[in-house]
Amino acid sequence: MEIKTMVRAAVPLALGAVVLAGCSSSSSGGTGNGGGKKTFAIAYQGPLSGDNAQLGINMDNAVKLAVKQANDKGDLPFTLKFVDADDQGTPDGGPPAAQKLIGESDVIAVIGPAFSGATKASEPLFSQAHLLSVSPSATNPNLTSLGFSTFFRVVPPDDAQGKEAANYLAKVVKAKKVYSVDDKSEYGVGLSGVLEPQLKTDGVTVIHDGIPPTKDYSAEAQKVKGANPDAVYYSGYYADFALFTKALKAAGYKGPLMGGDGDKDTQYVVQAGAANAEGTLFSCPCSDATVDPKAKDFAAAYKAMFNADPGTYSPESYDATNAVISVLKGLGANPTRQQVADAFKTVDFQGLTKEIKFAPNGEVAGTTIFIYQVKAGKIVVVGTTADLIK
Amino acid sequence: MCLTHNFWQLTISGLSDGFLYALIALGYTLVYGVLQLINFAHSEVFMAGGFGGLFVVQALVGGKTPHGISSVMLVLLGVIVGALVGGAVAFLLERVAYRPLRRRNAPKLAFLISAIGASLFLVNIAGKEFGRQAIPMPDLYTNGNVFSVFGAQVQTNYVVVAIAAAVMLVFLDRLVAKTRLGQGIRAVAQDADTASLMGVNIDRVISQTFVIGGLLGGAAGFLFGMVFNVQNNMGFIPGVKAFTAAVLGGIGNIRGAVLGGLVLGVVENLGVSCVESAWRDVIAFGILVLVLLFRPTGLLGERLGRSA
Repeated sequence: MEIKTMVRAAVPLALGAVVLAGCSSSSSGGTGNGGGKKTFAIAYQGPLSGDNAQLGINMDNAVKLAVKQANDKGDLPFTLKFVDADDQGTPDGGPPAAQKLIGESDVIAVIGPAFSGATKASEPLFSQAHLLSVSPSATNPNLTSLGFSTFFRVVPPDDAQGKEAANYLAKVVKAKKVYSVDDKSEYGVGLSGVLEPQLKTDGVTVIHDGIPPTKDYSAEAQKVKGANPDAVYYSGYYADFALFTKALKAAGYKGPLMGGDGDKDTQYVVQAGAANAEGTLFSCPCSDATVDPKAKDFAAAYKAMFNADPGTYSPESYDATNAVISVLKGLGANPTRQQVADAFKTVDFQGLTKEIKFAPNGEVAGTTIFIYQVKAGKIVVVGTTADLIK
Repeated sequence: MCLTHNFWQLTISGLSDGFLYALIALGYTLVYGVLQLINFAHSEVFMAGGFGGLFVVQALVGGKTPHGISSVMLVLLGVIVGALVGGAVAFLLERVAYRPLRRRNAPKLAFLISAIGASLFLVNIAGKEFGRQAIPMPDLYTNGNVFSVFGAQVQTNYVVVAIAAAVMLVFLDRLVAKTRLGQGIRAVAQDADTASLMGVNIDRVISQTFVIGGLLGGAAGFLFGMVFNVQNNMGFIPGVKAFTAAVLGGIGNIRGAVLGGLVLGVVENLGVSCVESAWRDVIAFGILVLVLLFRPTGLLGERLGRSA
């Protein structure tokens, strides 16, 4: 009885506290704090939970770091803060996450969305709200031709990656028959859709299959083994590629395995097991901050703040954020969303990974594709396709 | 032509999947048999078994892959721990999520909601505690091809899963058919009210039924985690498949659940040999619908009481 009454009293009290806390935090947003400067938020949207959360966390951290560094420098005419929205990397997770960010009036620019499917679903909302969104990683080719007015990306689309990966398989791996598997996602189908025609152009026989993410790839692995290809390329994300790799090795497939940028993550090696992952190749429009001398300071600051090495798409996210901040600086103490989105069209910013400037459709200039490989349990860079394919 | 190409290989991997489905399906079927309740939280019992086995195995296996007798002991230990954790979770589940409702004679719908609630709760508490990333289990033995049948390679994984599952399935069948406990389960399944008049303690039988289902589900969770990975949401898909297997074989029917599991596993695997793998579930569930059209009570018919 005693306990029951206490609970009865405690629940409304707790609820009240939550409501109050909610009020106080929202009232401080947007208005002045700290020397009369306004506060604006740079937001990140991507997967922070779900199967492929690690990719999202790599980016979330990098954006957080860039925002912190900009504030610490102290030369901004306003204070920046960081917010994020979890879209789980799925198309249906995109709009609610985007809506959340649009609804927060102090959000002035978004880094993301991270995955192509979520991007396609979210961009109409951002365009409507005139809110700039700069994706560090959405590589589906179609995204820049759908008429989104505030969409930019700092990575080249899968057109470039797919073509270069195909050329690498044909000319360096010297495969005559390639088994191409995609995960039926926006991203996977886009990538395999560019890879396969290019392989055929290069005179390679292509066997195509599509399999939505599952735990059990044993039947698929048997199919691959039965087809006896010279190489397998997987267009999808690392958690699934890891299981697929495991199944392929168990089925006795010993040939080269290659994946795209969505597959390249240290979690791939962990989840597939180092022995199974050994030798796997990746194509990626991403540079690797842990080995690139230009990114040394960034990698050190990242490690100091998060006690982890920067991962796939961390440097791109960092660049995207800094490019946005460079534009914000030029807009004075009180920029609007529309101004930011307009000004970003003409940005020219030297980032760690590349010079960030855009074609009118939001596509970044330049298309460097890197090849990576798992060696001794670590993903190391092999080189750029421009150097490797002679 | 395409069907014959990989026929035996796919049949064998299908049987291995099927054994796992069968183990999980028994949890659904047993509980349905005594309570006419679909225990949707059973997939999380499976997940709990996976984590239980994972932690024990992680603590015991160092950097090197064990072999020989220590492999056998580790697999056995993992199965036992997985089963115990599964049994414990199933026991608590019945106590917390179902028994209070039963005491109050709640309508069937309340049980269903309680089951779904418990399922979401367990998935997310595991995600919070153990992370949402897939966690690989350390190798307990070197997986490779052991022998071949009709030109198809049989992997160590398949052999381990099939032996472990078959032993448990036979054991369960005997348990239900021969022991006092089994008699109690069958009595409650046939007619709970009459059984209680005859002196059967219904609450105890129901609790025991949940625990037996949980033991099998937990063991299946460990075996699944050993072959694939352990993850907080690992139970969902196998759970749906196992439920399907239970319906396919005739829900409430123990041998039906086993048959349903094996048929579903083989059909799924063979189904994709001719078409894109994306069709896998379409084919499997298409066949389920067809079977139910012609045999609405499943392949072997319903009722735990009569068949066992």
